[in-house]
Amino acid sequence: MEYNLTSDEVTHQSGAWRTDANTIAPHLTTQRPRWMQTLFYGSLAVLSIIGLIALGVRMVEGLKVTTLTSPMGWGMWVAFYIYFIGLSAGSFLLSTLIYVFGMEQYEKAGRMALLSALFALVAGMLFVWIDLGHPWRFWYVFTRWNYTSVLAWEVIAYGFYITVLASELWLLMRCDLADLALRTTGWRRWFYRVVSLGFRCPQQQSEYQYCHTQSMRRVKTLGIIGVPVAIIVHGGTGSIFAVVLAKPYWYTGLFPIIFLVSALASGAALMTFLYGFFGRKDEEHFAITRGLANLMLLFIGIDLILIAAELLVGLYGNIPEHLEVYHALLFGQFRYTFWIGQMLVGILIPILLVTLPRMRHNPFWLGLGGLSAVIGIVAVRFNLVVPAYIVPMLPGLDHVINQPRWAYSYFPSFWEWASSIGGVALVVLPFSIMFRLLPLFHEIGEQFKDDEDDGGTADTIPVVPEQSRVIGQQFKQDVGGATNV
Amino acid sequence: MEKYVQQREVWDRMADAFQPTESQTSVEPLADRSGGAGVDTQLAPPPAQSAPINLVGRREALQHMTQNVLAGLTLALWSSQPREAQAAASRLETLELPELPPPQPGEDVLMRMMRDLQRALEKPMEQRRWIMVIDLRKCVGCHACTIACVAENALPPGVLYRPVMEEEVGTYPHVARRFLPRPCLQCANPPCVPVCPVHATWKGADGIVVIDYDACIGCRYCITACPYGARSFDFGEYHSDNAPHRAEYDMVASPEYGQLRGRQGRQSPVGNARKCHFCKHRIEKGMLPQCVTTCIGRATFFGDANDSANLVSELIASPNVMRLKEELGTEPSAYYLI
Repeated sequence: MEYNLTSDEVTHQSGAWRTDANTIAPHLTTQRPRWMQTLFYGSLAVLSIIGLIALGVRMVEGLKVTTLTSPMGWGMWVAFYIYFIGLSAGSFLLSTLIYVFGMEQYEKAGRMALLSALFALVAGMLFVWIDLGHPWRFWYVFTRWNYTSVLAWEVIAYGFYITVLASELWLLMRCDLADLALRTTGWRRWFYRVVSLGFRCPQQQSEYQYCHTQSMRRVKTLGIIGVPVAIIVHGGTGSIFAVVLAKPYWYTGLFPIIFLVSALASGAALMTFLYGFFGRKDEEHFAITRGLANLMLLFIGIDLILIAAELLVGLYGNIPEHLEVYHALLFGQFRYTFWIGQMLVGILIPILLVTLPRMRHNPFWLGLGGLSAVIGIVAVRFNLVVPAYIVPMLPGLDHVINQPRWAYSYFPSFWEWASSIGGVALVVLPFSIMFRLLPLFHEIGEQFKDDEDDGGTADTIPVVPEQSRVIGQQFKQDVGGATNV
Repeated sequence: MEKYVQQREVWDRMADAFQPTESQTSVEPLADRSGGAGVDTQLAPPPAQSAPINLVGRREALQHMTQNVLAGLTLALWSSQPREAQAAASRLETLELPELPPPQPGEDVLMRMMRDLQRALEKPMEQRRWIMVIDLRKCVGCHACTIACVAENALPPGVLYRPVMEEEVGTYPHVARRFLPRPCLQCANPPCVPVCPVHATWKGADGIVVIDYDACIGCRYCITACPYGARSFDFGEYHSDNAPHRAEYDMVASPEYGQLRGRQGRQSPVGNARKCHFCKHRIEKGMLPQCVTTCIGRATFFGDANDSANLVSELIASPNVMRLKEELGTEPSAYYLI
């Protein structure tokens, strides 16, 4: 068997396997120091607890804990909702580049993309759920579904989408999960058995290859189904806003496209960040990160073109209702979220970090650029939702009464901040745990790849665990008889 | 169209079937619900509140809703025109509308509108088309309609069904103020109806866009979609929030849609979208909407546009009639005389 690791890594790996049979993240050849892990998980846990408390307060007190008003009905929670839906759709569409459109050079980031898509969707649904005035009536959308409502269509689409996501992820990981279930003990064994749904991977090489080919074919089918579903999911999220003729800022055919492009940009940014920082550190690491960063640049560029089109065309005319929103965005109460949040953190810093000669060859800076874009696109989403509300529907409507719930200004309340940050932590925490627990970067098919060299001996899954498990290797081998994936 | 028929049936069943239930809490109705609004007090029959009317709890309301939806579906599938007319007629027979005096010269215009209203109530619901006409030349900006509406519907702070917008025109020395009261315009093509994900709001057969308080999930999509800003969200606050104790007027039940709902905790209508409904609970009992009754300048008119003898039908044939944001194609049912 060939290893594609350096000798240090092999030693470290085998050492890790031998000394601690329950080490389940051998793909991270650099183990993070203990204190860093404690800090990370500890702060996530603290934020999650704060989030749970804030959510509890919100559930008990209702929407009066927010600073939302009747005229400005959608705020921070809706901004996070569309952000996470976009992140999910973007990550998923990038994974389809691998599994549907055959860009195998990014294969190693594929499962990671699907996992983040799954968790981002759950986060998005959490945020839209807590935004409801009657959260426990959410199931009315299924019993009283209104076919003319884009929002109702979206909820149905989320159901399809999450099914596709979960199925694809399971199909990709089931062999590794089954293998890990055999190898580990204790709660990990139970966990892998549950997540693998009792799947048993075939032990013989030919059967395994067949099973693998079948799985990849199914993954491709799911990916093909998933592309229009993801476009409906996030183009639909954009259409929720675009069909509202009351808000001229939204009422344009450009809006669903802006949403989709922002989604792809945030998905690529997240992939860059995750793979740059936490991806498998092998010789392909930089190439993959660089590729993802280039994709991020591409989508940020297209997003910039769309923003320019929207702003320049809108500012050209004199229609007060349109102008007022753009002025508020560029020079008024939203100038900070626009220039600093969207332009600086979301666009300029990622572009600089990814293109400057000193940084472009270091995956650390690429990952940091991705992180900057991931944070900045939250501001992009906020700027898509809230500025549309500041124009009174009829002149003088804002001066009818001097009452907080009638106001035409919005800054999120403490509970909104707490529940939003806490809600994000509540999703990031299990995501981080799953990121470490699940076999995102490994595949057991590795040991079958050098069948010819072994002189035809039947290969079964060896007990000795120092097998290198690297995704993508089997594609480079032409295993006899297997159909091309 | 079937959906409207079904919903209308449900609506009629709900209005007919409303009965006191043995639910958790009961709210004592105020002795005088008309609030001293002049003409109506003497002519309208007092609301039939011999028994204390209880709040409908959420479970009961859901059960009623399910039963009524099933009943409505059954009716919609199997009913025929004569049966609906029979049901409507039997409902009207139970309405004891007072005998109005014949028209006299110099009488209050409210008398004419009440006669028109009684005549319209004799027709089945789908043959009525309620519209409102507001004469901006007469509006003096007193905001009495705003306040009367708040009092009638027991609205919380921040919820205004009928705000009056003020605009100053001209520059000194030629300055003037003009006022524009804006109820819900009950559009014929309402942008708020198709966007509701749970179909909690729809345009009734009589032209009023209603909200089912037990179905609304509070997503605020309809509030966002209204081009006139006519919908508000009930955040669950009270006027006496910063007072030493909760005031009695905050615990008054709202009689909207023929139901008495107090605002307790997180029960509807807290957490719902709310809006003007042309005082549907009043017009079904033969009383004009509260804003019409209260207007000191008699600037607001209400009636059935399908009736050519109606006052409002005459008024909207004026050359100085206009509607707000006509370019949006919403076809509002509230007209303005400018």
